[in-house]
Amino acid sequence: MWRSSLLLALLLAACSKGPQADLSAIKEARSLAAEWALVNEQATQGKLTATYVDTMHQTLREQLETASAALTVPDAPYGQEIRAILKQPDNSAPAALRVHVARLKQMEDQLESA
Amino acid sequence: MNPLELTLGIMTAVGGFVDISELVFAAKAGSQFGYALIWVFGFSTVGIMVFSEMSGRVAAIAKQPVFNLMRHRLGLKLGLVTLAASIISNLITCAAEIGGVSLIANYLAGVPYLLAAVVLTALIILSIWVLPFKWIERVYGLLGLFMITFAAALVAIHPPWNRIAGGLTPQVPHGLSTKEMLTFAYFGVAIVSAVLFPYEVYFYSSGAIEEGWSRKDLLTNRVTSIAGMGLGSLLAISILASSAQLFGPANVDPAVPGSAALQAAIPFGRWGLICALLGMFFAVAGAAVETCMANAYSIAQFFGWAWGRHKKPWEAPRFTITWILLFVIALAIVITGVDVMTLVDLAILFSILVLPLTYLPLLLLSGDRHYMGGQVNGRLAKTLGWVYFAIIVAAALAAIPLYLLTSGGNG
Repeated sequence: MWRSSLLLALLLAACSKGPQADLSAIKEARSLAAEWALVNEQATQGKLTATYVDTMHQTLREQLETASAALTVPDAPYGQEIRAILKQPDNSAPAALRVHVARLKQMEDQLESA
Repeated sequence: MNPLELTLGIMTAVGGFVDISELVFAAKAGSQFGYALIWVFGFSTVGIMVFSEMSGRVAAIAKQPVFNLMRHRLGLKLGLVTLAASIISNLITCAAEIGGVSLIANYLAGVPYLLAAVVLTALIILSIWVLPFKWIERVYGLLGLFMITFAAALVAIHPPWNRIAGGLTPQVPHGLSTKEMLTFAYFGVAIVSAVLFPYEVYFYSSGAIEEGWSRKDLLTNRVTSIAGMGLGSLLAISILASSAQLFGPANVDPAVPGSAALQAAIPFGRWGLICALLGMFFAVAGAAVETCMANAYSIAQFFGWAWGRHKKPWEAPRFTITWILLFVIALAIVITGVDVMTLVDLAILFSILVLPLTYLPLLLLSGDRHYMGGQVNGRLAKTLGWVYFAIIVAAALAAIPLYLLTSGGNG
């Protein structure tokens, strides 16, 4: 009985690490980067207030850092992609951010279909 | 029935309908599942109309608020369990609202989050202390009408109206994986919980007592419940539909409450953004008032204390100390630094667990001739009430497994 319990516990521990365990952090990072791009796109069109833009940048960056820190395999390609997003300046071009979004989305889809 | 009073009542209900949880879940539901969850909003709105009408009717006829009668009907033990559960649920919800309103102040004026939480809590306490009940309700409800910006924004982006109308039909999107299906189900449960929050009926029925409702107010009660909640729900549906149109295709799954305001900025620019943020600010602040007061009402009514804002604060001292203390505890929760979105998730989860305990006594009381005389539930109210109760119980049973399986809807 205890052997099967131990096996189950080990299996659960094994499952809680690795790309599959990182999926929700990848999704979150992809969404945050896409939101960042949307904010910058609207800001360049003069549709947002400076206070709103600054606050959104700060919040999005903080949440991206949290998502990055939550990765169980930080050196995986998605981890590098998230770190690359974090290196972008606040007023980064929406198109540049969307390149990272597309890459993260591709990795996310691959993991989901695996 | 005074038409001005009625109009103001409906407008107040509309402005006060959306709270932080509806704001968050409507935006997330639209971005993740397009228009497929609109029907859950519509369906839950009929539920809150039914239960609001019942609670107002019980208050007008039996002249007693829900929690007072609950103890008599459920007995002391089960009554205490219900009280404890609703205190926890309302307190977490109140903390989520205070956190939410502080974040919105941050987006609006750049006020640091924790400073905003302290200052706004103090201002809300002051507003409750100074204003008579009717004006507490109206100030927040009417200023919450800035939320209409979201409905106007939806019209301005020319959405596919046929697909939005199609979303009103009960459906589950095709081609979802098991994980996505579970997330869809979790969102369904979360929307039911957010629309049917227990604090809404506690506050509404206690408010009816505060305003001295009687048999002559039954029509006002019915119209306010149906029109106010129905129109209010359209605002939440507007947020969902705009999110489906603007956020979904852009790969955005709104992660912070302030994201929703972008929906108004895209068609209307800066003024759209400011109006949307103001609407969110007052609607969420109003929900903070309602959750905290609902808790204080419940506690005072359960223990038989003098209560109500129609009395001077010192004429109901235990009630007064309770609501101030509850605000302070909710603020303390926010100051610990716990994330607002986590509070929103917990508020949704605790509320759905409390819902059956909230609505069962109400159903029993409103169907009891001893209390209600000729104003007992009719066939339609009785049928709808029990159907919704069964659904609430099923949603409550499914909530925790779905929350765990989907990591709180995050897949």
